Amino acid sequence: MLRTTAGKLATAMRGTLGVTSSRVGAVRCLHGTEESAEEFDKRYEKYFSREGIDGWEIRKGMNDLLGMDVVPSPKIIESGLRACRRVNDIALAIRWLEGCKDKCGDHKATLYPYLLEKITPTLKELGVPTIEELGYDKPELALKSVFDM
Amino acid sequence: MNSLRCAGCRLPGAAVAVIAGAAKSVGGAHRARSADLRLMRRFTHHDGTRVMSGKREVVGYGVNGSPNYIDCSDFPFPAIRYREVTPEICAMREKEQGDWKKLSLDEKKSLYRHSFCQTYAEFQYFMPEWKLAIGITLWAISFAMLISLVSNVAIYDDLPITYDDEHRQAQLRRIIQLQMNPITGLSSKWDYSQNKWK
Repeated sequence: MLRTTAGKLATAMRGTLGVTSSRVGAVRCLHGTEESAEEFDKRYEKYFSREGIDGWEIRKGMNDLLGMDVVPSPKIIESGLRACRRVNDIALAIRWLEGCKDKCGDHKATLYPYLLEKITPTLKELGVPTIEELGYDKPELALKSVFDM
Repeated sequence: MNSLRCAGCRLPGAAVAVIAGAAKSVGGAHRARSADLRLMRRFTHHDGTRVMSGKREVVGYGVNGSPNYIDCSDFPFPAIRYREVTPEICAMREKEQGDWKKLSLDEKKSLYRHSFCQTYAEFQYFMPEWKLAIGITLWAISFAMLISLVSNVAIYDDLPITYDDEHRQAQLRRIIQLQMNPITGLSSKWDYSQNKWK
């Protein structure tokens, strides 16, 4: 009963909202299909390396990625950094590096050096400092503990 | 004006009139109306965060679409830059458009601090906030105890006479005599042939 009602409602809504049937199809087809890791990486690389990307979209993509249960692959990190270069926002690039480091979680000791090794050429090329170079691996502006005064 | 009130306008009427007047004095009738509308929309949007964000650049989508700033690892790129635009930072942003290798470390840092308040290391640093939490909890508990003590002493009457030992014994005797709840309850524990507890 609910299904038929929902179906009818969807048909009615489609008329009012002007959603084309192809778009609905695309959404439906995604349901149940598994995206492989390579496809995922490719998708985000493509997203970040799009020509006319702006800061809003970069932030959206990075926020999404850092909200997922994944460590971004070096390829994605690089394309993100290049996207930051294209919109001339170095703060975004540094924050992106920090976010990727944070994503390594409990495996910071093993994963982070690997990531850093892979992305170092890009960092050098763009002139983005690493977190350690900036001194952002430790709190910079934190208040001193009252017991240490 | 009524429709604006419905849309969640929290500005007093005088303030809105002043804004409208300022907008009108800028240009012609048509331009004034559109500027007027834009200002109205700007000042009536959401919960005033747009007004509070001041001259900060809106760069992304914030919490519930409002232009607000938050340092959070689940959502590390907030909707606005942390600091307001100043001539110094404009000059630095101009320089940022060139080669980043030419920027000094201090300039990179101040660009970062322009966009963000705290680094990951700072906002994830362990803070002894649990002390405050425990303190507030204990205060709340002691306050509740105080209320119950005061109401027992000063508000409620004494307990009724039926709470005496004698009255309660009589009540128990009557329950047994009436054979109340004889299967699983009190009377099932009483041996009626020998007149004592089983």
